Amino acid sequence: MESIKQNPLVKKVGFNRIVLCIVLILLYGLFCALTGGSFVGISRILSALNYAYFLGFLSLGVTFVIATGGIDFSIGPVMFCCALIAGFSLVNHGVSMPLALIISLVVGLAFGVFNGYLVAYWNVPSFITSMASMNISKGLASVFTQTQSVNWPQASAEGGWYRNMVRMGDIPVGLIILLAVAVVCAIILNKTKMGRYILSLGSNKEAVRLSGVNVKKWEMSAYVVCGLLVGIAAIFYVAAYTTVQPGYGDQYNNEAIAGCVMGGTSMAGGLASISGTIIGVLIISLLQEGILALSLDKNLQLVITGIIVIVAVFADVVSRRRKN
Amino acid sequence: MGEVILTMKGIDKSFPGVHALDHVDLEVRKGEVHALMGENGAGKSTLMKVLTGIYKKDSGTITYEGKEVEFHNTREAQDAGVVIVHQELNMLGHLTVAQNIFIGREFKKGIRIDDKKMNEEAKKLFERMHIDIDPTETMSRLTVGKQQMCEIAKAISHEAKVIIFDEPSAALTEAEIEELFKIIRDLRAQGLGIVYISHRMDEIKVITDRVTVMRDGTYVGTLITKDSTKDDIINMMVGRVIYEDPKTKNMTPPGAPVVLKVEHLNAGKMVQDVSFELHKGEILGFSGLMGAGRTETARALFGADPVDSGDIYVNGQKVTIRNPQDAVKCGIGYLSEDRKRYGIVVQKSVAENTTMADLDEFSNGPFIDKKKEKEIAQKYVESLATKTPSVDQLVVNLSGGNQQKVVIAKWLTRNCDILIFDEPTRGIDVGAKNEIYKLMNQLASEGKAIIMISSEMTEILRMSDRIVVMCEGKKTGELDISEATQENIMNMATREIN
Amino acid sequence: MANKSVTKTAGTNKSFIDRMGGQKFIVLLIVIAMFIFFCAMSPQFRKYTTVVSILDYSYYIALMAIGVAFPLMTGGVDLSIGTGLICYSLIGGYLVVHQGWPTGAGMVVSILLGVAFGVINGCLVALMDLPPFLATLCTCMITRGFGSLIVGGFGIPWPTAAAPGGWFRSIFKIKMGGQNIPIGFLWIIILVIIMTFVLNHTKMGRYTLAIGSNKEATRLSGVNVKFYHIMAYVICGFFTGLAAIAYSAIFATVQPGSGAGFELDAIGGAIIGGVSMTGGVGSITGTLAGVFVICLLKTGLPFIGLTANWQQIITGIVLIISVLIDILKREKEAK
Repeated sequence: MESIKQNPLVKKVGFNRIVLCIVLILLYGLFCALTGGSFVGISRILSALNYAYFLGFLSLGVTFVIATGGIDFSIGPVMFCCALIAGFSLVNHGVSMPLALIISLVVGLAFGVFNGYLVAYWNVPSFITSMASMNISKGLASVFTQTQSVNWPQASAEGGWYRNMVRMGDIPVGLIILLAVAVVCAIILNKTKMGRYILSLGSNKEAVRLSGVNVKKWEMSAYVVCGLLVGIAAIFYVAAYTTVQPGYGDQYNNEAIAGCVMGGTSMAGGLASISGTIIGVLIISLLQEGILALSLDKNLQLVITGIIVIVAVFADVVSRRRKN
Repeated sequence: MGEVILTMKGIDKSFPGVHALDHVDLEVRKGEVHALMGENGAGKSTLMKVLTGIYKKDSGTITYEGKEVEFHNTREAQDAGVVIVHQELNMLGHLTVAQNIFIGREFKKGIRIDDKKMNEEAKKLFERMHIDIDPTETMSRLTVGKQQMCEIAKAISHEAKVIIFDEPSAALTEAEIEELFKIIRDLRAQGLGIVYISHRMDEIKVITDRVTVMRDGTYVGTLITKDSTKDDIINMMVGRVIYEDPKTKNMTPPGAPVVLKVEHLNAGKMVQDVSFELHKGEILGFSGLMGAGRTETARALFGADPVDSGDIYVNGQKVTIRNPQDAVKCGIGYLSEDRKRYGIVVQKSVAENTTMADLDEFSNGPFIDKKKEKEIAQKYVESLATKTPSVDQLVVNLSGGNQQKVVIAKWLTRNCDILIFDEPTRGIDVGAKNEIYKLMNQLASEGKAIIMISSEMTEILRMSDRIVVMCEGKKTGELDISEATQENIMNMATREIN
Repeated sequence: MANKSVTKTAGTNKSFIDRMGGQKFIVLLIVIAMFIFFCAMSPQFRKYTTVVSILDYSYYIALMAIGVAFPLMTGGVDLSIGTGLICYSLIGGYLVVHQGWPTGAGMVVSILLGVAFGVINGCLVALMDLPPFLATLCTCMITRGFGSLIVGGFGIPWPTAAAPGGWFRSIFKIKMGGQNIPIGFLWIIILVIIMTFVLNHTKMGRYTLAIGSNKEATRLSGVNVKFYHIMAYVICGFFTGLAAIAYSAIFATVQPGSGAGFELDAIGGAIIGGVSMTGGVGSITGTLAGVFVICLLKTGLPFIGLTANWQQIITGIVLIISVLIDILKREKEAK
């Protein structure tokens, strides 16, 4: 085992990520076997990818927050809030499509700023701000839409071009965009000042502060990035599914966090892997599709992701304990 | 003084790389207050930790009440009647006084905790100690002194026969110390054996019967307090160590400008009206015993903790330092005594830590210029002779001395002209120590101004051009190296405060 | 004699508000003020039936809040109580409605499930060292999925008051002379008294506060910290089980997938009532008063023309404000 871990190629790619890829392939094989072949087709994969897009953006966003040592589990409801407010403006207030998309981003950003400000400048525990903005976002969306669900335009309708962002014919455009954004995130995290400070303060906030760095600003920036990505996730959610209902969205929190911690991002902060997050998200999406294909109760997904997070976080706790 | 209750003989204890206790002896009699003295790091606390079972001894014997014993944890020691009153208080701030005293062994009436009885028992304890504390008061509302009394009450309630006081007076006011002494005298009269660890020479003379002095983990000797003078004890504490090339004269170039001037700095209880000047190219040593307020002064100066009042001038300009960002902008760099917590980000690489304070300089817009970053890190790895396989190595894998060099590199990268070294060689082995010393001298000769806080007398005498001595949050003296001796520094550091 | 002088000086140091119970007293005043405000604003609000419906609403929130006060006082949190409540109520109801179990047995199952998940949460936090908010966020999702899986995704109507086995509804409300008597409030008061006793006069309560105050010092005092830490979550689970029964008794049907957000009402109530976020401090009576702040907001706002959705926004804001007050209070104390 140790010798495999020491192999230079394995070291470069990362042992954890190799294992995750193998899990992904095995899971795919398992579903193919269980469904007797109906899983093999491209349509299933495209459908799984639809799920992976919005979840991927959510997961990328929460990766930044977790890297600082915080948490955000308002992302699911906030995503719905973005989609509802933007969609309602589009459908009922005659706002143009590009403007609606911008509204979605702005709403996401606003929640990011709210969470980040309270956490970084007021020292409110991040799970409290999450709880508060979870409810505020749900309430806001319901008030705005008068508790009506919103149907974004179909592909053929006017302004339906936005759906091309997910899929053009059989080309999974969404995957390209998701990967491109992931690359940008990886660059931010690994190549920029912002990423450097976010990871460093997640690891040892006091040492970074005593180096003369404005830690409050950079801690807040992680939540703002997360908010923006949640706004993007909302766009991809409606581009894939068109219909959004107020009052929902919580289940995606756990799935996004699961993708993130499975990919090797440490709950204690300071350690994050964008590529790991993406593979984690693909596994969760495949699981969701597989449960659907096998006509199993979709609630099984909730239970399984819950257990995945517990196991992944416990593994992280144990590995840190061993290092000390 | 009665019969012997506790004897520790030939106690030996090693930690990896350190011989912490080298055959140390200690004898405590019933009805005596026995002082345990020595400089910082002499091994007093380690000895007490061995006694109360926190550390396991390598060899030697502990005889308690005529029987050889070995306690495996503090609870066993407590049950046997050996109790320690810690310097840091182990209290539960939200609970009441009585609840604190009896935590873990509450009186019960059925399933109900008998708070009434606990309050009564606590009251009896306080009556026995002749102090006035309301057992139902919330712990965090008491003054530090009163909290200390509660800790003592807790110790007594264990039916203690030997009580160890680890610097009990560090945080107390004059009046509270008086009260403490009254209690200690009472306990002595009741026949308890008391070990009293303190740095305050005046207290030793007032309260103790005998003094055992330790130095560098070894037993030096035991004196009868009333037959000995303060100088006797100080001589035993500092010993006759041969210092490696101590500085004999101030190396600061004459007429060097003042780069930092601090006037009447106040910050909390530990920094009271501290003023000093620092010249270009000078190493200013800050000496004093543990808890003298040196680190607090440095942190306040650096903006790490809030300042109550005082003026700071950098290169003649009055500056306002509210946080470390401001300090760094003024060209001040701080190397903390606790590197792992405050100095480095252990999970990051040498290069990343090197540029931590000055990332703007190594970025193009938002992007970090990793090539430039590695170059500067490499440059300092070479010039400081940091031992690391590469600049990509995680700092966690480096030794203490090399971690310290990474922190130095961080501040040099930022071009800081004023460097505060807080215990620069703590936890660093001898060879690396010399390298750090050489480096500091080199930096000073290049025109950097250095404040060096150190608890090691040898270090102070070897490195400093001038020495500021602090005691109890106040500056008690300032000496040129040419007139400094261990004795007069120790005298200032332990000065009686009236 | 000496003692008398001590208590006297201690007494004079405290302000009037402190002597009346500190934050609890202020919160009680707020509750009264809110009630008067809503009464003044809306004639509809002044009716007896409104009071009954406020109380109906308060039972399950109050029970959850009493429970969650314990993990909060250890410095942790339990986010699984909202979905947990629905899960236990669904499964208990499923056994009664679809499997023909007696109502009493269904209720016992609800409570046992609560205790079981309390044990799981406690072990995740106290034995496995997982961050409490994360561990309980996972059990939140698990209970939500688990409940729906068992009942197959359909709403569960516990027996109505008139139907056989509907007797349990009269635990909380009995009809007397055409009027509904909210006797559930009596049970809540009794439970508050019992839990106040547990908190202040038993080892369980004492060590809960001690763990929240300084876990390491408590451990060094020889207390079995792990056991009592787990027990705090078990108490929370037990009360969530009771809350499940209250919920089943008040509402006609229990819907799978709901329940998310209930925990906010309960945790918000506890924090408003003076339970500190960082642990070590709290009171059960304060928690009850805090719950009524939330309940009055929830039931009162529609009477002054705000839709039910505003409640969520306002409870979110109230939570943030109460936590900020807690933070500022601690900063002031530190000085």
